[in-house]
Amino acid sequence: MIKHYFKIAIRSIARQKILSGINVLGLSIGIACFSLFLLFAVNEFNFDRFHKDAKNIYQVYLWNDAYGDNEAEGRIHHPMPLAAAMKQDFPEVMDYTRFRNAWSENFVRIASNDVRRVKISYADPHFFNIFSFKLKYGNAATALNDLYSLVITKTKANELFGSDNVIGRTVQVKMEEEFIPFTITAVTENIPSNSSINFDVLGNFEYLEKVSERKSALNWHRFGFLTYVKLQQGSGLPNDAAKLSNFFAKHHPDQVTELKKSGVNWKNGVFVYRYGLLPIEKVHTNTFTQGGPVPNIDPKIIWILLSIAAGVLLIACINFTTLSIGRSAGRAKEIGVRKVMGSERRQLVAQFIAEALVMSLLSSIISVLLMQLILPWFNQLSGRDLHFSVAQFPELIWMLAGLVLLVGILAGAYPAMVLSGFRPIEVLKSKIRVGGSNFFTKSLVTVQFSLSVILIICTIIIMQQKQYMTDKNPGYNKENILVVDAEETKSKQIFPLFKQALEQRSDIEGITSAELSFSGNMGWSQSGFDYNGKHKSVFEYFVDNNFINVLGMQMVTGRQFDPTIASDTIKSVVINETMMKEFGWTMQNVIGQKLTGYYDDSSMFAKTPEVIGVVRDFNFMSMKEKISPQMFHQFASYAPFKFFVRLKPGNPSSAIAGIQKTWSSLVPSLPLKYSFMDEDLTLFYKDEQKMNSIIAFAGGISIFLACLGLFGLAALAAVNKTKEIGIRKILGASVSGIIGLLSKDFLKLVVIAFVIAAPLAWFVMHQWLQDYAYRINISWWVFVAAGASALAIALFTISMQAIKAAVTNPVKSLRTE
Amino acid sequence: MIELKHISKWVMIGGKPNFILKDVNATVNEGEFLSIMGPSGSGKSTLLNVIGMLDEFNEGEYRFFHEEVHRMKEKQRSNLYKQYIGFVFQAYHLIDELTVYENIETPLIYQDVKSSERKAMVADILDRFNIVGKKDLFPTQLSGGQQQLVGIARALIARPKLILADEPTGNLNSKQGEEIMNLFKQLNDEGVTIIQVTHSEKNAGYGKRIIHLLDGRIEREE
Repeated sequence: MIKHYFKIAIRSIARQKILSGINVLGLSIGIACFSLFLLFAVNEFNFDRFHKDAKNIYQVYLWNDAYGDNEAEGRIHHPMPLAAAMKQDFPEVMDYTRFRNAWSENFVRIASNDVRRVKISYADPHFFNIFSFKLKYGNAATALNDLYSLVITKTKANELFGSDNVIGRTVQVKMEEEFIPFTITAVTENIPSNSSINFDVLGNFEYLEKVSERKSALNWHRFGFLTYVKLQQGSGLPNDAAKLSNFFAKHHPDQVTELKKSGVNWKNGVFVYRYGLLPIEKVHTNTFTQGGPVPNIDPKIIWILLSIAAGVLLIACINFTTLSIGRSAGRAKEIGVRKVMGSERRQLVAQFIAEALVMSLLSSIISVLLMQLILPWFNQLSGRDLHFSVAQFPELIWMLAGLVLLVGILAGAYPAMVLSGFRPIEVLKSKIRVGGSNFFTKSLVTVQFSLSVILIICTIIIMQQKQYMTDKNPGYNKENILVVDAEETKSKQIFPLFKQALEQRSDIEGITSAELSFSGNMGWSQSGFDYNGKHKSVFEYFVDNNFINVLGMQMVTGRQFDPTIASDTIKSVVINETMMKEFGWTMQNVIGQKLTGYYDDSSMFAKTPEVIGVVRDFNFMSMKEKISPQMFHQFASYAPFKFFVRLKPGNPSSAIAGIQKTWSSLVPSLPLKYSFMDEDLTLFYKDEQKMNSIIAFAGGISIFLACLGLFGLAALAAVNKTKEIGIRKILGASVSGIIGLLSKDFLKLVVIAFVIAAPLAWFVMHQWLQDYAYRINISWWVFVAAGASALAIALFTISMQAIKAAVTNPVKSLRTE
Repeated sequence: MIELKHISKWVMIGGKPNFILKDVNATVNEGEFLSIMGPSGSGKSTLLNVIGMLDEFNEGEYRFFHEEVHRMKEKQRSNLYKQYIGFVFQAYHLIDELTVYENIETPLIYQDVKSSERKAMVADILDRFNIVGKKDLFPTQLSGGQQQLVGIARALIARPKLILADEPTGNLNSKQGEEIMNLFKQLNDEGVTIIQVTHSEKNAGYGKRIIHLLDGRIEREE
């Protein structure tokens, strides 16, 4: 019997090739899209679970709820001595490793005249005992024992040396002023794409502790080191807030006293500042700690992506259902005959479900192939290295099998119930018209188009906001600025020479420098201090005296830095308007105000800074953030790590060649690295950009699927109305009249779908835009455009069928009745 | 075998009953060959469908082998006709996706006949109808007469006691029609009861008895 069902299923699929093709294609795309997003979600939720001891490894964070608002946050950058202190104070702490993520690149000489820029991270020797990263060559237990050892990943080894068997190779790493030899002691397999810890090259943390950052070794005020601990199985420490508060108080007595002075107190033995332990498996999907080697993801986003994917799958299933009912137009007779032959209803239901299962199985197979095609592109989009690997994610097998069953039964059940319910005598007398005309199928089409319209509207608005952020004037002239990266050089000495050599060129308009640039991946420096008893925090930028001029910011009052005034390099600051307001100053009294409480921790002589000018607010961070208090200064203890060259508009190649030449003469041993400022700024939106592309991708797919469904339904409507069309034509109806007749019903559905979708889309996008401090207004034309394009696409799809039906010779269609 | 008493069937049009069958009384014995005649709209097909239990009636009593069909539930009726009745249609109503062989086999599948037995039965009937060579063809590859032959083979496969034929030769040319009617006669001689609906006096003549219907009533019997 079952064999019989499947035989019939395959034959009837083969008989109606176009409709079955549409059906299978639509479903394959839906399943492929869903599986892809599912794979992504599975990967995100499985971060760090591959470590053997994952259940006992915790990341240490500093919990800060001092302001009592809802923006409590955790910090993961700690002082160096923290880890050892934890092990000493808590017997549950079995082992620890610190980790210093590579913020900038080091120069590494791999051959006598081959110097490369390489990111070096540092970890304690026990790193490979705690974490289960696989080594390709070398011994995990001893790899980081030596102060001057380096562990390198397979990919990086291949990139640098052209081979991965590089154990024992010596490279020279530039530390401060000189190149120091390090030996490669191990090569790791590539870091899994679901690891929250990532590195290219790993050095021994004790090198930092004992050599390059000795100053930090015992200092509880220098932050910047991630700390991971391995606890005893079942330890209660992570939940013991009181113990962790006491620990904080013991090691930060001064901070506790300070906070107590400003009214912050203990509650039930728990302090607002305390250390916390976050299970390593939760590190990637939490939102309150940021700044690890791999950016965290908001689980909300994963769920949004999954719901979009589910939406696409739903559209595909709806297609499947409507088309199956539709396909039955030609099968009503078969059902009637079968019933007369003695088939029972459940046997017919089984037959149709079997057919649906065959289709969904077929679709799944195709979808797996489709996924292989899309994966490389999707990986680029999502920044992950996903593989459709059953070995990596065994759960994919039953998820996929479940999906086949679910989709088959979901999409097959309704048609099966409807079709098996026909009364044979009516079918055989061809009294029943099926396909595309009952309330249920109409609602399904409407739901489909609503989802599509929502996705179109969201895509347009997201793109608009993105365009707005890149196009909005940030308050200075970001075009034609070339940023030269001078980190790891003696930039303080080089810059004046660099400037002097290039200043006279006619294709260069101006040259300046600063410690940091404004960009998505450069970091910033922020200092907090108490001004008149209130805690203030200010972003500070160390700049050259002509920085404001060259970048094109505008002064609203006061003056810029003046190279002829000596005190400008010691105590003058130029602040922005927001800072002026924040500190309670006005345009009239701002000049000459003193920043009491501020101390420059790296200068030997602390002078109280004095305001000499106010610059118009400009966006120095992502447009997501409101402009914060910010100031420029020239304090001599800083170094200009970025050189800014304003080029004349036009082809930059000759200027770049000139800069290259100057750089080579000044820094012969190190390669030039530069970027364009406007491009750097888009790095702020890198992650959003990925999300947007994914959403646009899903939007496109869903529209395509909805049209596929509509195409099938229109084909059926044309078939069902063959006789009517024939009669109308004999009575004198025109081709356009016939097209109108066929299109009208469907277009009505699209209009209804739009009416449902528009407010929903508006609501969703309104919520989304709240995340951006600088955002567009949702304009009415977006809705008109989305509605019109949905209508146009639908009309196009339907008329392809309608025209075919309309031009058929009526004699032919009437003869078959 | 069949006993119809005061069978009436109507539909309500504008609040008034419009009779399709009105007070039909008839008895059919085993081994009979009955023809039902009448002009279009006289209710002959409906009567056939009522006898075949595919259609319901509003009033009256229907006994089939002394079982009271009018008191049965749909499922019981379906079991009854599955067992005793074979249908032959004017438009053949073969399933296009199935081969000749599979079309004939279908009723046996629904009656849970074992696979080996099915094979033997189908082979038998193919042989008898001289269509062994066509068993793997699909209906669309056959002429009308051949299709109807398959239709009859399918109706006979489960060895029914009664064959109901609704204008079995309506779509055939006269030569093909004659062959089919001869086949019916032969079957009847072998003991199968046959009830056919027809327009044609000539075909009606193959029957042993003729009922004439007019406006849902039995007008006369021959």
